[in-house]
Amino acid sequence: MRNQLRSARLAVLGTAVATVSLIGATAGVSGLAATAGAARAPHARAHKAGGSVSVWGEWSTTEQASFLAAVKPFEQSTGITVNYSSKGSNMDTAVEAAVAGGKPPDVAFVPDPGTLDTLASQGKLTPLAPVLGPLVKNYGPAWTKLASYHNKLYGVWYKAANKNTVWYNPALFKEAGISSTPTTWQQLLTDSATLQAAGVTPVSLCTDIGWPVADLWQNLYLKSAGAANYNALAAHKIPWTNPTVTRAFDLLGQLVGHPSYLLGGTQGSLANKYPNCVDKVFPKPGTMPQAAMVIEADFVVSEITGNSANYTAGTTGKGGKACTANPSQTPCYDFFPFPAPAGSAKNASALQGAGDVGMILNDTPQARAFLKYMATAKPAEIWARRGGLTSPNKTVPLSAYPDPVTRADAKELVDASGFVFSLDDLQGSWEPQLWQDMLNFVKTPTKANIASIERTMQSQANTAFAKAGKK
Amino acid sequence: MTLVHAPSPATTPARPRPGRSRPLRRHAWSLLFLAPAAVWLAVVVIYPVFATIRYSLFNDSGSFVGLSNYKNLFTTNSLLIPFRNNVIWVVIFPFFVTVFGLVFAVLSERIRWATAFKAIIVMPIVFSTTASALVWTNIFDLDPHVGAVNAAVQAVSDWFNPPGAYPVDTAAGQTVAALASAGDRSANGAILSTATVHPGDTVRLGLIGISPLTLQRLGAKPPRQPTAAPGSITGVVWRDFSPAHPTDRSTLYPDEQGLPMLHLALLGAGGSSVASTTTDTRGLFRFSGVPPGTYRVQVVPSNFQAGFTGTFWLGPQSLTPTGSASQTAQALLSVPLIDVGMIIAYLWIWSGFSMVLIGAGLSALDRQVLEAARVDGATEWQTFRRVTMPLLAPVLTVVFVTAVINVLKIFDIVVNMAPGASQQQANTLALQIYNSGFSGGIHTGLASAIAVILFVLVVPAMVWNLKKLRASNT
Repeated sequence: MRNQLRSARLAVLGTAVATVSLIGATAGVSGLAATAGAARAPHARAHKAGGSVSVWGEWSTTEQASFLAAVKPFEQSTGITVNYSSKGSNMDTAVEAAVAGGKPPDVAFVPDPGTLDTLASQGKLTPLAPVLGPLVKNYGPAWTKLASYHNKLYGVWYKAANKNTVWYNPALFKEAGISSTPTTWQQLLTDSATLQAAGVTPVSLCTDIGWPVADLWQNLYLKSAGAANYNALAAHKIPWTNPTVTRAFDLLGQLVGHPSYLLGGTQGSLANKYPNCVDKVFPKPGTMPQAAMVIEADFVVSEITGNSANYTAGTTGKGGKACTANPSQTPCYDFFPFPAPAGSAKNASALQGAGDVGMILNDTPQARAFLKYMATAKPAEIWARRGGLTSPNKTVPLSAYPDPVTRADAKELVDASGFVFSLDDLQGSWEPQLWQDMLNFVKTPTKANIASIERTMQSQANTAFAKAGKK
Repeated sequence: MTLVHAPSPATTPARPRPGRSRPLRRHAWSLLFLAPAAVWLAVVVIYPVFATIRYSLFNDSGSFVGLSNYKNLFTTNSLLIPFRNNVIWVVIFPFFVTVFGLVFAVLSERIRWATAFKAIIVMPIVFSTTASALVWTNIFDLDPHVGAVNAAVQAVSDWFNPPGAYPVDTAAGQTVAALASAGDRSANGAILSTATVHPGDTVRLGLIGISPLTLQRLGAKPPRQPTAAPGSITGVVWRDFSPAHPTDRSTLYPDEQGLPMLHLALLGAGGSSVASTTTDTRGLFRFSGVPPGTYRVQVVPSNFQAGFTGTFWLGPQSLTPTGSASQTAQALLSVPLIDVGMIIAYLWIWSGFSMVLIGAGLSALDRQVLEAARVDGATEWQTFRRVTMPLLAPVLTVVFVTAVINVLKIFDIVVNMAPGASQQQANTLALQIYNSGFSGGIHTGLASAIAVILFVLVVPAMVWNLKKLRASNT
């Protein structure tokens, strides 16, 4: 996830970055000033406690403003000041370095359960079950398991991203006479053929430096092999030459081995960067969509709605008018859950995604109070209403989400029977090589190449895990 | 150089001696003034160099492993491509940056508007490399609507080879054959009616995979059933796809559309074209006054001509055919297209800098020598070749060697310009340091070892440059 965001940010022009961060910084500063003011207000002091809690997270700019808004009620009711500092995309490194240096923040939100495991194994974290009490039940078993180490809970999930999504332009589906979205991978391929007969290119395949292809492959692996195999593969406990791996490549080959299903064919796909690949399905006004579907996580929504305020979530356009392909009129966007291959229905509600988990690194009463608050529905609800957050917390009312698409997205997260993190993000040093291997497959999606790619991946993983094992 | 000198006075402590000599006192003063710079350099340059060498002897968990990181680098092929690319950069870039700088410097001395010309050439230096890389990524973009290079190629190509109204991008895996709905055949990029027809018959040709956008642009209308006419062959060509009946082929539905502006040919028994016509907005056509006989209707290939749709200039494809060479030989011998794109971008950035340096050298030339040459009857070229060039040689070599050092550590342009599909082929040593040390896992030892290797490669050029500079100063 963080890599995705990093790459996405890279694509933005320098000036835009500068402007945005300037605005963000201003918002952040004024937000901090506002919270500090609130803490000093006399009615707040009347309550009790006081003091402060230092919090690190990866959220900056608008996300930082939303987070500060979400913790404001906590500051007001307890008089505890939240000193938030954003570490950007380097959260894991920053936290591990701070812990090693002996000066960790009180609370940190990390985008990687691996960091939670590492720190828990070193005994640096506070067990949360006694702190949270009944609040533990706000999360489904899949989430509790992910925030636990040796069956002890150490983390509170606050924000989650869902990669189990295929985004489509409803107007183009309608043009091709497709009235219901595919529920199996095979159906997706059949619908692709229909779209093509209608003269609509089915898929704008995001490739970038390989991570979007890895996301797609991981969805196929999770759906065809199940969460147990997925986690075993992620931990390099089953080899990359395993038949389950071959099966996932075969499934991917059914799409990428059909260049005419891909916008620009194979060559065009290899040049398709994120987020441009999203813009080709949901363009800015003035251009028409070039393809019907884009397969990526729910973070594409900000790109779509950023392209034009005309975009409406769901299959009904603005003002109840029919969705149009023309982004200057009443365009729409919607998603369907990533379809499992036929015969793998039992894995259908296992999701791939990412999330930020909060943990206590300095056991203070303020930190405990803060994390207790973060496990309630309130902070998630505040951010959700502002847009840009989906929470795995069951008690967050779906009505808090601003539109039907986000609501469906959040419901998927809450109902997930299993939740797995992006496998590539758990590979450590060979992650960029894994991405290259995925691109190699897009380049040459043949059976013979699958075998050779698998051998390469196995040896890369061996090297990487052998090194990591020496630690 | 300060580095070399700074510590040595420090080793000669200013021992309190009665009646210190004046030079020594002056020495102490200069030492005092040098100290901040020396300390600063020691902290940010000398210490990191030795720390890096030290790190390169340890593994990720911090235990001493001797030279095993180096052994790893030299016995696996992980450095082959980065090394090859560094060689490509060093062979091509310094030469051209010197030549361009020289040409621009000489030109700017003799043209009007020289200041404006110089300003334009020098301007790219003020942009950050990242910004320049983004600019050039767009210039080389695959989509001719975005990339200037592909747009230019397209303009020329379309002039000679105009695209049809219904382009089929074969490079993107599309085929004309896929357009023919049930029953009709395709051959040599054309679609041929299966049924043979006689004058008075009607023909229906259904095509699928026609973009609604194309039809909108051409003003297509719903198709009509063709009416038979004696002595004529009439028919309709239509988009055989109804959103209401997405799987039904060959029925005419009101939500389908005729295909306008299609060029058709009537093929006689021998397969040669005997008549041609074009469809109207409803896809209707008519060949009138057809003599008796059997015919077929053909949708001619020119309708589906895609024209030029773009070359992936920043792609990983190799310029040098390596054929069946071994993997190692392939890695070493291939010159990827992306290297050329990046080198062009980097030349754009640095040509101005070398022009300024060489220009300074030119203006310092002894004009009398040049005049003497001219008086002796030398041509312009001879003067340039035999007098100017030798006199400029020291400046040219400094520019050249600086460029060598510059590209040995090439990083920013590669990381910002290479699209994912070519990143592996565009990899350089400095990028590999980053990939090993900072991206993904943190392999400090391995990354440090590469850094030391790179350092060793840069040192000769640097020493040479310093010597040259010192020689020219004295």
